[in-house]
Amino acid sequence: MFGYLLKRLIQMTLVLWIVSVIVFLMMSFTGDPVFMVVPIDATDAEIAQARRILGLDQSLLVQYGRFITSLVQGDFGNSYVFRQPAMTLILERLPATVEMVLVAMALALAVAIPLGVYAGANPNSRISRTIMAGSLLGISLPGFWVGMVLIFLFAVHWGIFPSSGRGDTAELFGLRISLLTADGWHHIILPAVTLSLATMAILLRMTRAGMMEVGRQDFMKFARAKGATRRDVLYKHGLKNALIPVITIFGLQLGDLIAFATITETIFSWPGMGKLLIDSIYRADRPVIVVYLMLVALIFVVINFLVDIVYTLIDPRITLK
Amino acid sequence: MKYLSETALRASALGLALMATTAGAALAEKSVTIGLTADPSHLYPLAGEELSSNIMYYHLYDPLVKRSADLSFGPGLAESWENVDDTTWRFKLREGVKFHNGNDFTAEDVVYTIEKTRESIRPDLVANVASITAVDDHTVEIKTPKPYAVLPNDLAELLILDSEYTEATGDEKMDLEPMGTGPYKLESWIKEEKLTLSANDDYWAGEPKIDTVTFRPITNPATRTAALLTGEVDVIQDLAVRDVDRVKREEGFEVVTRPSLLNVVLAMDTREKSPTIEGDNPMTDRRVREAIARAIDTDAINKIVMNGLATPSDQYVPESHIGYADGMSFREMYPVDIEKAKELMAEAGYPDGFTMTLDATNNRYVNDAQIAQALASMLAKINIDLQLNIMPKSNFWGYIRVPTENSSFIMSGWDVPAGDAGSMYGALFYTRDKKEGYGQVNRGSYSNPELDALVDKADATPSIEERDQYLQEASKLLLNDIPMIPVHYEQDIYAKRDGVTLEPRVDKFIWAYDIDVAE
Repeated sequence: MFGYLLKRLIQMTLVLWIVSVIVFLMMSFTGDPVFMVVPIDATDAEIAQARRILGLDQSLLVQYGRFITSLVQGDFGNSYVFRQPAMTLILERLPATVEMVLVAMALALAVAIPLGVYAGANPNSRISRTIMAGSLLGISLPGFWVGMVLIFLFAVHWGIFPSSGRGDTAELFGLRISLLTADGWHHIILPAVTLSLATMAILLRMTRAGMMEVGRQDFMKFARAKGATRRDVLYKHGLKNALIPVITIFGLQLGDLIAFATITETIFSWPGMGKLLIDSIYRADRPVIVVYLMLVALIFVVINFLVDIVYTLIDPRITLK
Repeated sequence: MKYLSETALRASALGLALMATTAGAALAEKSVTIGLTADPSHLYPLAGEELSSNIMYYHLYDPLVKRSADLSFGPGLAESWENVDDTTWRFKLREGVKFHNGNDFTAEDVVYTIEKTRESIRPDLVANVASITAVDDHTVEIKTPKPYAVLPNDLAELLILDSEYTEATGDEKMDLEPMGTGPYKLESWIKEEKLTLSANDDYWAGEPKIDTVTFRPITNPATRTAALLTGEVDVIQDLAVRDVDRVKREEGFEVVTRPSLLNVVLAMDTREKSPTIEGDNPMTDRRVREAIARAIDTDAINKIVMNGLATPSDQYVPESHIGYADGMSFREMYPVDIEKAKELMAEAGYPDGFTMTLDATNNRYVNDAQIAQALASMLAKINIDLQLNIMPKSNFWGYIRVPTENSSFIMSGWDVPAGDAGSMYGALFYTRDKKEGYGQVNRGSYSNPELDALVDKADATPSIEERDQYLQEASKLLLNDIPMIPVHYEQDIYAKRDGVTLEPRVDKFIWAYDIDVAE
């Protein structure tokens, strides 16, 4: 286990370093950040002054060197646009995103697993066919469209939910959490549903496929023969064995949604961090982009690590080496 | 963040206490919620400028000279001003004004602000201030490098900082904990979610009518419309063109429009050789420039691309500006006439036209990429093969930057909130590299000694009337010589619910001090 952890740690450092290099190189093609800061009729002297203040007067290599040196000392650099520490900008928006994604993922699981098991166990029933057709819709409808339709129906037309924003929050361990207030839940439902649909559909289809695969195995027949109820057979014997690929996808989707919930956040003007990434790309705000993508890489590595551990819990035959 | 939530808590506790004492005779608290297109990047005026930040600045801070909604200039923190001689201005400061923290506003703050600005990322704000001295606690004397008649207009963009507080707080924290003399104080700012301001009851120009103003950033245009229709916000900025009819149909809401100051213009290269044109540059010939002007149908662009929500521009600056040439119109001088345009091309020796590239943005101006496409099909009629090079704004400004090594034909926008054509002509048309601070955005490399002389004269007189005369002559000269084609002014579109009074400002800076809501 210790060796495994160490290996993972080294891998992670390598991934983070590569991300930082790629982003730094990439950003030299996306335009000069100084022109996003100065007025368009700025004189050369004014531009030079802005460049100096932002630390952009050095070569890319020197800038990268400075970035890495201060990174090692725990300083992630300041945003060119906001002139605030890039890490602070991201972290103060992180809770809102994580919260929305967790609700969305919980929703996706709660719907996808039972329906997937049902559709896998009864592949030919009419209900199963309806479920599968619905899941196709979930995969193919673009999120921004679903979001707009939900806003139009539930906010503008029926007035059941608010159209946008985060609502009231309560503080917990210094973090602002909206899941602790009724108003917060009122606001989070529509964006979470929008965000969950695609994942829900994928998980449902994975579960169904796994269940159909497992259903043909001999141990399922034995379980039934030894007198286990149909429900126990499906959930204890069947689902547990069908779950490995589902969990893999779940982990990947979780990371993906946290990192790139941008579209849903923009549509519902949810104050999360995905919007920060897009804005920063538009404004060529390199420090924020670099730190953001490194954080995303970190999140993916951690989630994959956790998924590996969950494997061993579900299937004792798997060990971590 | 911690600071903000603490102040918010304390303020709400105070609010409760007040409510308890005045219970029974409770005053109706007025509040308004405004949906903006983006969250401000800054609350510290010297950290940078963009529209949302500008809107906040003018709530929190005051300039010496106040620019009103219709672009006229009047007393702000300065009560009055006079010319002592051609280059010396004396400003009498308002007495008894206090910053939100209780500090007195004095001449020292003005001196500090100007010196601080010079070292910041915005030295352009004080480019026309050579030196400043405090004569007494409430008088300052500003010297300009040369006679400069519109100094007060420039100072309308310089927001006065509290010297003691700013020095103690530091640049980074000033963005989060602003301190000005303005009509509103910062209550709380939750990034990307909402920014709440509360009225400064001691404001020198009178207590604001609205007690609490909340700004919500709603980037997606359709969501902004939805938030208005559901009553979550009272006013929205930049109503999407496609939602205009929908909101107009809805009972209880109103669409408010006004032409903006932003003039979309086409700069033509006038060098002998141009980067994207093979052989000699045809646009050195005025006849070719006129032919291009006559081939571009701005009415058609307005109707087809802009849904009628643009105003074709008749000059380089709007009528309200110093230097607008009375009675002249680019549209009347060069009406759309393809036959005439073809004749002009033939006369100039280009009956078969030529090929060149238009550089344009796709995320800076309203429907900018579509305008570029329309231009290509219009110029095709006079045999000009217009290639389109369209890019996002983050690449654009660096790409087209003087010395314009890549461009022959550029579409960009220009606005002059200072209400004066001089700075625009100096930056866009003055011969390059002749004088520091002039011609730095002359992307067409236009050079005309007559124009340079007129701009020089305008910038050398302390009299506004004379300046206006020189700049009007410059306008005439430019309209005749066509170094650039003005296309249209974009329209600012707001929507609001009934019961809110909103007079849109020419400079787009929504100002809650001017807004009222029905009880």
